Amino acid sequence: MKGKYLLIGISLYGIAFYTSTSIHSLQQKTVVIEDVGKLLPTRMKEVKSTQSTEELQNWVRKEKTISIAGLQHSQGGHTVYPNGTLLDMKSYNEILNFNPKEKTITVQSGVTWADIQKKINPYGLSIQVMQSQNIFTVGGALSVNVHGRDIRYGSLIDTVDSFRLLKPDGEIISVSRDENSEYFSYVIGGYGLFGVILDVTLQLAEDELYEQRISTMDYKAYEEHFKSNVQNDEQVKMHLARLSVAPKTFLKEMYVTDYVLADDQKKLTRFSTLNEEEKVALPKFMLGMSRYSDWGKDVFWETQKKHFQNSNGSYQSRNNVMRSDSTFMEYENANRTEVLQEYFVPVDEFASYIDDLRKVLEKEDLNLLNITIRYVEHDEDAVLSYAKDDMFALVLLINQGRSQKEIRRTEKIIQKMIDVTLDHDGSYYLPYYSYPTKKQLKQAYPRIDEFFQKKRELDPDERFKNLFYEVYAQ
Amino acid sequence: MNYRTFVTAQSLLMTASSMVFPFYLLLIRNIGDSYSQFGLAYGLFALTGALVHPIIGRLSDRLGDRTFILVHTWGMAGIMLIIPIIETVTALYLVQIVMGILGAVQKTSEKTVLARQSNGVQAGKKIGSYHLWTSVWGAIAVMLTGYLIDFLTIGSLFYIASILYLISSFLILKSAAVPFRVQRKKPVQL
Ligand SMILES: Cc1cc2nc3c(=O)[nH]c(=O)nc-3n(C[C@H](O)[C@H](O)[C@H](O)COP(=O)(O)OP(=O)(O)OC[C@H]3O[C@@H](n4cnc5c(N)ncnc54)[C@H](O)[C@@H]3O)c2cc1C
Repeated sequence: MKGKYLLIGISLYGIAFYTSTSIHSLQQKTVVIEDVGKLLPTRMKEVKSTQSTEELQNWVRKEKTISIAGLQHSQGGHTVYPNGTLLDMKSYNEILNFNPKEKTITVQSGVTWADIQKKINPYGLSIQVMQSQNIFTVGGALSVNVHGRDIRYGSLIDTVDSFRLLKPDGEIISVSRDENSEYFSYVIGGYGLFGVILDVTLQLAEDELYEQRISTMDYKAYEEHFKSNVQNDEQVKMHLARLSVAPKTFLKEMYVTDYVLADDQKKLTRFSTLNEEEKVALPKFMLGMSRYSDWGKDVFWETQKKHFQNSNGSYQSRNNVMRSDSTFMEYENANRTEVLQEYFVPVDEFASYIDDLRKVLEKEDLNLLNITIRYVEHDEDAVLSYAKDDMFALVLLINQGRSQKEIRRTEKIIQKMIDVTLDHDGSYYLPYYSYPTKKQLKQAYPRIDEFFQKKRELDPDERFKNLFYEVYAQ
Repeated sequence: MNYRTFVTAQSLLMTASSMVFPFYLLLIRNIGDSYSQFGLAYGLFALTGALVHPIIGRLSDRLGDRTFILVHTWGMAGIMLIIPIIETVTALYLVQIVMGILGAVQKTSEKTVLARQSNGVQAGKKIGSYHLWTSVWGAIAVMLTGYLIDFLTIGSLFYIASILYLISSFLILKSAAVPFRVQRKKPVQL
């Protein structure tokens, strides 16, 4: 009797032991990866990284499912796929060729803007189009077709001469507007779905000295200011605005920074050293306060405004404008995270759009920390183009919880905001969390079906996949 | 169950638990990834332990020490198989609750057995030697693991601990069982 129980006990233990060790070894073989959005931890088979093109080629031929990652600042799982292989491109980062005379540079796709700036700044050259910060890879930037503070060179796609693409079948092709041109407008803004961008040749600009012109205004005056003082003034090269999220001036007060070409460009050398030091402590503290209270938001807004007003008339080199601080935004919290949203609205719609947006937000409880505004010129070169018109681009920084409940809550509000945006003939930016519905996607990107269709045509085995594709293409 | 077997079995399970303890803390910290979740996980353990103590105490009088030690060792052997594969905070909380109960079982039975070892005459001496051996083993285990961890994965540590718990339970199983009737009649076993 006793022996029987013992036998059963030992057998059960044996089974449990075996099960546990097998699960454990499976877990050990895989890795959990997440992007900076921190909402989509995903178990992947492995992370591979190399400096060798040949090795990349072998992997692409061999691996069944691949996601490509740069610095993973996209926030909607664009760089991950369950059980897929992650190609980490960060170490594929050589500068292959730099031609100061022709003002071109050829870099491998894991190179960051910071790397390029370091290389070209001594030659008095600068990047034409990039994000407001320099912490991203060129491959990641190309794949979402970024835009930034520059208002004269269009979107990133306009500054690309050519690139080489490692296709899903392992073949490497050159792509430009003349060669394999059908790939050009799909791969740029293609979210890593058409293959691996290996190296890219970019057009460069002259580094220039800008004088900062700061003005504070009501949101109703912004469109007029932009049209007459910015768009029509060829001397203004870059532009950035902030819209208040502080309760006292919510979505009403703005301040605007115009970067005006300085009269005396000879002074450039005095300002051309690249800023390396970031001021972290104070802005981090202020942002921290505004996360937790309305009072903090008011203080943050007033302080920030004063700080910027003080910089009126000061000089900055183009390269330094294009490497603004980001460290202070880093946020470590187990239960919460900070996500971005970006909405594009035609310049003419701005004031009425903001009124409608305010109506929605006044009813909702959304911890909105910051709104910056930039400008993108009408440009439909990329199939997934967001600039269907001359548009203002509003970037919203939102603090939210990481639980499913919190995600659903944020989703409802964001979908409402996107509805408002679409009502004003706007669109939204794709590298962020998959809050928008499929219907909203289709309305914002009328060519989305064509995009996914082309994807299946050029990658019939669906070798390149990510969660963005998973959510919207099925 | 004689005193020697008891001390050996307890030393073994002490070895097992001291061996994994630091790594278990690390694991809670990693899964919880915030100190508040860490606190909650730990608090759950302590609190369940506290709350079940009165019940366990009463049950112990009804079921006997030996059964209790067996529950603890088998239970912990099982838990050690679960810990390496935990991924979610919820699972962690559940494990903490079960461990809170098993911990209370262990604490109670350890004391009841000790109490039965003498009729009050040499209680101090016995308890002293019991703590000496179990703690020495605990200490040795911690130090050894410090070296071993270079060669083993953290997961395999838990599996080793699980087997140690099992061996400990076999020792108890093998020892002559004092039928519960007898224990009731003659609570003190010299
Ligand atoms: C704080 C912050 C500020 C931002 N500011 C701006 C801004 O000012 N303007 C703007 O336009 N955007 C902005 N973004 C969005 C950002 O530009 C994109 O998320 C960009 O993709 C990030 O680059 P990454 O190197 O991190 O790319 P990842 O996030 O790693 O990758 C993005 C996409 O590119 C693909 N990819 C990456 N490398 C390759 C490659 N070599 N070949 C093929 N596909 C590849 C990936 O598969 C993925 O789909 C911002 C994001 C954050 C978090």
